[in-house]
Amino acid sequence: MGAEQEQEQLEKEKEKEPDENEDTMDRGYNLNDNVDILAEIMARLDGRSLGVAACVCRLWSTVCKQDRVWEALCDRHVIGGAGDPGTRSVVAALGGYRRLYRLCLGPALDRLTCSGETTDSDKQGWAHLSLSLSLSLFSIDCYERLEGKQRPASLLFLCKPVNVA
Amino acid sequence: MGPYGSDSTTIASAACSGPEMDAILAGAGFGTRLSGPCNVTNASDYSLPFNPSDLTTWVDSMLTDLTSATTANLPPQPIHATWTNQICSPLNPIDHAASHVLMAQQRKEEEDSGIRLVHLLMTCADAVQRDNTGLAASLVDEMRVLLSRVNTLSGIGKVAGYFADALFRRIYTTEVPLSTSEYEVLYHQFYESCPYLKFAHFTANQAILEAFEGYDRVHVIDFSLMQGLQWPALIQALALRPGGPPFLRITGIGPPSPDGRDALREVGFKLAELARSVRVRFAFRGVAANRLDDVKPWMLQATQGEAVAVNSVLQLHRLLTDPATTPAPIDSVLEWIVGIRPKVVTVVEQEADHNKPTFIDRFTEALFYYSTMFDSLEGSRPQHQRQMALAEVYLQKEICNIVCCEGENRVERHEPLAQWQTRLANAGLHPVHLGSNAFRQASMLLTLFSDEGYCVEEVDGCLTLGWHSRPLISASAWRAPDADVSPDDSSVIASNSNNCNIIINSNHNNNNNSSNNVSGSDDNRISV
Repeated sequence: MGAEQEQEQLEKEKEKEPDENEDTMDRGYNLNDNVDILAEIMARLDGRSLGVAACVCRLWSTVCKQDRVWEALCDRHVIGGAGDPGTRSVVAALGGYRRLYRLCLGPALDRLTCSGETTDSDKQGWAHLSLSLSLSLFSIDCYERLEGKQRPASLLFLCKPVNVA
Repeated sequence: MGPYGSDSTTIASAACSGPEMDAILAGAGFGTRLSGPCNVTNASDYSLPFNPSDLTTWVDSMLTDLTSATTANLPPQPIHATWTNQICSPLNPIDHAASHVLMAQQRKEEEDSGIRLVHLLMTCADAVQRDNTGLAASLVDEMRVLLSRVNTLSGIGKVAGYFADALFRRIYTTEVPLSTSEYEVLYHQFYESCPYLKFAHFTANQAILEAFEGYDRVHVIDFSLMQGLQWPALIQALALRPGGPPFLRITGIGPPSPDGRDALREVGFKLAELARSVRVRFAFRGVAANRLDDVKPWMLQATQGEAVAVNSVLQLHRLLTDPATTPAPIDSVLEWIVGIRPKVVTVVEQEADHNKPTFIDRFTEALFYYSTMFDSLEGSRPQHQRQMALAEVYLQKEICNIVCCEGENRVERHEPLAQWQTRLANAGLHPVHLGSNAFRQASMLLTLFSDEGYCVEEVDGCLTLGWHSRPLISASAWRAPDADVSPDDSSVIASNSNNCNIIINSNHNNNNNSSNNVSGSDDNRISV
């Protein structure tokens, strides 16, 4: 009797399986179900791609707006110090990594890579310095915003088109 | 070569010979552009567009050339215009070669007008120096006629326009000083449209940061607070320094606000807000004074055990006087600066010689300096036209002060770095090398600002920022000669009963401090 019941169960399962298989083949694996993995992938993108990704859908937009994604991006472009808790709290207080990248680090890196050839060690040195310089400029921007200015102008010089003469 | 070539050489020889033309153009501000990166190792190797020692002879030669020309008093005939009209009118108007030549001729005409303007300016300045008001007035009129035909939107036309205007004011009117709020707006626009002030702030901050290493209580005395734009970067850098931020005190000196609002206090609140958000213990104090020599050391309340930094951005030159009158206020101010034993004194000054006793020398120097300055403003293409226009007004006010005012009213008494070095050394301060970090930071800032034109150079441990190898602003650091005060000796703390402090403690649970302070607006300002 037990064997018959077992066989019935097995047959039922066999009947189920093709259906389930069809289901999974229809659905596929959906990345949107795993927001953490999505965030991990986003954290490896560059600034422009992050901007593009944020336009895909509401979920992606929310993920891309997380500051830790931009923190990882900033971290990759500077040598040490960007990720430690002290820096993190200061950057958060001044406006967050996303704003830091958008206003300072991004344009600064664009400028530096555009302006002529630099050796690798030069680039590293500049990348390290660019964090402190970016933070200085960023703090001035934050300070201007304290006044309630709609468009603080101190960082506009970074957005000017680069003269690649 | 045909008609074009021969006629252009005739026109060129009518003005002056080739190299002479180069020299005059260079002197008038048409600098030759450097190609390639500046060689930073040869710090003292910058070549000025003119040789200062030859200036007097050059001016003399121009003046003697002109005395015959001005008596004739003929406006320059546009010879080439009629010639090109003859060539162009019967032909097809879309003739590229002809339009090219037309443009070249127009440029030459403008250059000639520019040279003539410079000649006129020199003659007029000389007339003013000899108190020959009649001649000066007629020359000013002539310049105005010429200016109406020249492009005053850029280049030599614009600079000449400002100087002619300044001469006009000197002859006819008295210069009205700017109100504080107007000055602040202009200063802010100048700050944003070119890198000189940013360079000054960042370099000074770097020197201050390095001097403050190891100290737990630090005090910065700012000789000109304005909107306090220098300090957010220092606050942020102190917040991030390894070992944690110190207790930072800033004393900001500035002019008293006329309309009842306490501008210094407002800036102090904003800085305190920023410091609170990045968790730096912060205190601010405002000292309102119209002149720096009215400030006395006791107002600053420097205490034992704290590292003091004195920061002066474009302020010390206001304390100079005519060399004949002694004592100069600068000496007494330097004396008390040394007296408070600062760990670092950061001095930023214009790299120019605008305090010479004779008017014509000052005028010539200013003409060259501001030509380069305006050149750099155009070169860096500021974001808005309005911003650039206001930045130019800021410079124009300086020009007017140098040209129009005398005695006590003339405050823009710029002196070159070498003279400041002697003066500060004589007062007892020792120079501090600015270091490679400051240099790299300045170079990087310039790369961000613009790719071409600006150059940072190191001279004797000081940094200068210039345009096409003419230095325009210099930053240096000094310290008082004393045995190092131990960083741990913080036993004496400023007394709490003093109502003049605004102390906003973020990490302290000490309520005693907060109750005394942030008191009524009358108490926290010392008016002099």
